[in-house]
Amino acid sequence: MTSNTKKSGFKLMIGVVVLAAIIAAFVMVYRTFSAKPAEGSKSITIEVIGKEADSIVYELHTDVEYLRQAMDEADGLTFSGEESEFGLMIDSVNGETADFNADGAYWSFYVNGEYCNYGIDTQPVYDGDQFLIEYTADVKE
Amino acid sequence: MAGKSLVTIKDITLIGMMVAIIELCKVAMGFLPNIELTSFWIIMFTLFFGRKMMLVVPVFLLIEGAMYGFGMWWISYLYVWPLLSLVTWWCRRQQSVWFWSILSGAFGLFFGFLCAFTTVAMGSVDGIRNGLYAGFVWWVAGIPWDIAHCAGNFVLMLVMYQPIRRIMKNISY
Repeated sequence: MTSNTKKSGFKLMIGVVVLAAIIAAFVMVYRTFSAKPAEGSKSITIEVIGKEADSIVYELHTDVEYLRQAMDEADGLTFSGEESEFGLMIDSVNGETADFNADGAYWSFYVNGEYCNYGIDTQPVYDGDQFLIEYTADVKE
Repeated sequence: MAGKSLVTIKDITLIGMMVAIIELCKVAMGFLPNIELTSFWIIMFTLFFGRKMMLVVPVFLLIEGAMYGFGMWWISYLYVWPLLSLVTWWCRRQQSVWFWSILSGAFGLFFGFLCAFTTVAMGSVDGIRNGLYAGFVWWVAGIPWDIAHCAGNFVLMLVMYQPIRRIMKNISY
């Protein structure tokens, strides 16, 4: 009797595990094959203002989560820098280099008019965001 | 001299009551997506009234069609609900609440998969490949709802099986 109860309990436990495994498999199938939006769901802009106050605006429709990925997607926008513990520290945008050691110049990053609180690797991207990357030089007369 | 009728007045009343309970619960819970008591009642009624379900399920299907229209979904109902009743009848000696919760949950989980066969059949008018693709896409799109269906069926059976079983034991003949 006890043996039968144990056997039955074991079978039911297998049943629960199998059901959970099938659910997990279904989730995987859904993630792999479900319809994806054809176009990015977030509309953002990235404006670059260079040393001579020349402006280029990039409009993006994207699904990315962070600014760096959005900058990678922006057609025509090039940038480079040094990897650090805070992510990529930008030195150069569209071939224009800001050399802090030479003249205190750097690239400032703004989101919706506010200074970005995060590096480009961790700066979140939301629908409607307007990013500004601006060449900034400390004025030391 | 008239022979003994296969279906008595009592049976007809009982069948009417069973269908009324199923429909009432369906309408009452209609606002909850894919959380339903139809699976629960079909399992319970099959366990307690056995072969009478051969009449309950067709009456339920006819009422469903009359109320909501005889669409494509109704064609899948023609085999999905009888299948649940049949599987329940086949496993009728089981008494564990966990067994019935798993079965009911699995039915909810595979509900979309089973219904997709209708889409496959309809889509196959343009070739079997198109039919299979249409059925697969249709099934995949509904997976989140099937998972909700599974969870709902599992929990409802887990909670309601014992109390309803006790009540039905007292009233069944």
